[in-house]
Amino acid sequence: MHLWPHWLALIVLTPLVGAALTPVVALIDRRTPTWWALSTMTVTSFAATMLVLRIFHEGPFSYVPGGWTAPYGIELHFDEFSAVVGVICLVGWLAVLFSSRYTDSLPEFARGRTPYYYTLLLLNCGGMIGFTVTGDLFNLFVFMEVLSLSGYALVAVGGERIAEMAAFKYLLMGAISSLLVLFAIGFLYGITGTLNIADVTARLHGFEGPTAPAAVALGMLVVGFATKAAVFPLHVWLPDAHAAAPSPVSAVLSGLVVKVGVIGMIRVYRIYYGSGMFDLTVLNLVLIWLGAISIVMGAFFAVFQDDVKLMLAYSTISNIGYIVMGLGLATTYGVIGASVHIFNHALIKATLFFAVGAIIYRTGYRTLTDLRGVGRAMPLTAVALSVGAISIVGIPPTAGFLCKWYIALGAFQADRPFFGFVLIFGALLIFIYYIRMVNAFYFREPVHAEVAEAKDAPVSMLLPTLVLASLCLIMGILGRVPLTFIEPGVARLLAPLGG
Amino acid sequence: MLTALWHNIDYVASVVLFCIGLYVVIAKNNLIKKFLGLNIMETAVFAFIIALGVIEDGQPPIMTGDAHGPFASPLPQTLVLTGIVVAVSTTALALTLIIRVYRRFGTIEADELRELE
Repeated sequence: MHLWPHWLALIVLTPLVGAALTPVVALIDRRTPTWWALSTMTVTSFAATMLVLRIFHEGPFSYVPGGWTAPYGIELHFDEFSAVVGVICLVGWLAVLFSSRYTDSLPEFARGRTPYYYTLLLLNCGGMIGFTVTGDLFNLFVFMEVLSLSGYALVAVGGERIAEMAAFKYLLMGAISSLLVLFAIGFLYGITGTLNIADVTARLHGFEGPTAPAAVALGMLVVGFATKAAVFPLHVWLPDAHAAAPSPVSAVLSGLVVKVGVIGMIRVYRIYYGSGMFDLTVLNLVLIWLGAISIVMGAFFAVFQDDVKLMLAYSTISNIGYIVMGLGLATTYGVIGASVHIFNHALIKATLFFAVGAIIYRTGYRTLTDLRGVGRAMPLTAVALSVGAISIVGIPPTAGFLCKWYIALGAFQADRPFFGFVLIFGALLIFIYYIRMVNAFYFREPVHAEVAEAKDAPVSMLLPTLVLASLCLIMGILGRVPLTFIEPGVARLLAPLGG
Repeated sequence: MLTALWHNIDYVASVVLFCIGLYVVIAKNNLIKKFLGLNIMETAVFAFIIALGVIEDGQPPIMTGDAHGPFASPLPQTLVLTGIVVAVSTTALALTLIIRVYRRFGTIEADELRELE
């Protein structure tokens, strides 16, 4: 039996089944859950590689579970944007590896329950994978809830003073946004009588009748997904949640989970661009402005943080701003840059959170003042951190440069050069923080003996950090590959149906 | 306009209920009350989706020998069943978090918590 056609179903099922079985295999030995989670993610990563190879060869494809063809069955659909499963699996795999030592530093109540920690991590990855490959609106909601609920719980595991409050705030805003999305899905189902995304698009195309419900649905979907993505006025939950979570979880949340909101927006845009019901200029203008405000506000708050993880959390808001702005520009360059930034920012932010996590694990401190001189004590980790920081600023030839360049080109292409300058201004603000960090880590005398005597991170933490840091450089040099890869997907996104 | 609203009174009711829930989430100070507001919003959305499947004189969609249409749509009910499962897990997680917040800070009033942070 060859599995070639079934990989698309397996990539969703493997992490979910693996998650459910983790507490069971924990009965064998204390260390088995780690190996179990690692092997589950390995199988998933293999499936992801197969799928990405297949889409390179034959373009987008679908999977019909149980032989129930769309629109009656629940369709899984793999297109260029779904290729983000590659980075989800990579970061997820490395996060599990990173956690194998990091779980020792969790608080008492969590240390005795590491199997459940891995369950949550695998559920989170499975939910994200399911979200990106599903072709069904209700399925989209279910997977969104799987990944959100496991995300809320993972934030609370960290044991920081504010962890539970941060998780509750995250839960409250996350649940409201989920309900908005579900309400909107109900609207779309009421209008079209179907839940399949392609079918909804086709039935809204040339729809005759009142258009107000579809417009309300669009508004609720955009607000709902913008909350998940932490776009400016809806970002209040993010800094505390991402700073309070354990570092490997922060890497997953900040690098991947917020992107789910953006991918959701891309799916919604496909429906509305395809149906050609509305002129989306006004909505796009709103997105551009919110994106621009996110870029500047996120970078501005990041500069004034002393807590390194809090700074990284604010810089996530800034980077989501780039993506949303690129999406709102609605020009080829802008959307290509935004889509590739989804991918590259995941690599960069995971590098940064892993490096910072390793430093916190070794020293126990997390503010710039306390961590002075750590660059000399932990040279390899600090190098990875610097590579990540250069990438997030967007200095060539790193991964961050090309997508920001493309989004800036998109701004000029859309005849809105002002936003190109906003983008550069945001990058400059982040650059200030980078200089502060390098100054503190390399050129200041340590204030704590623990920092000066810290050994470099253990292999299980150093390896993920260095792999991701080198990928930040490689993706900068091979930047053309993802850009050309995503191009047909973007062309299909922006084109109206049948034209 | 008013007759159109009256004909869609079930949809209007769920939107109103949704807004009441949202108001409770934003305005109430107690974390449990905030969360009850969220439950009200959930109920509103579920009621809305259930109402979508109802039609005048709709028969249960069970294929027996003398079954004749029009049939009520069974799909919304399956959706809401899944939705209820999600809502239950959200509630369980939220209550757990509230208990842990209370153990740590000794209060679940949002304004007092803001001062303690």
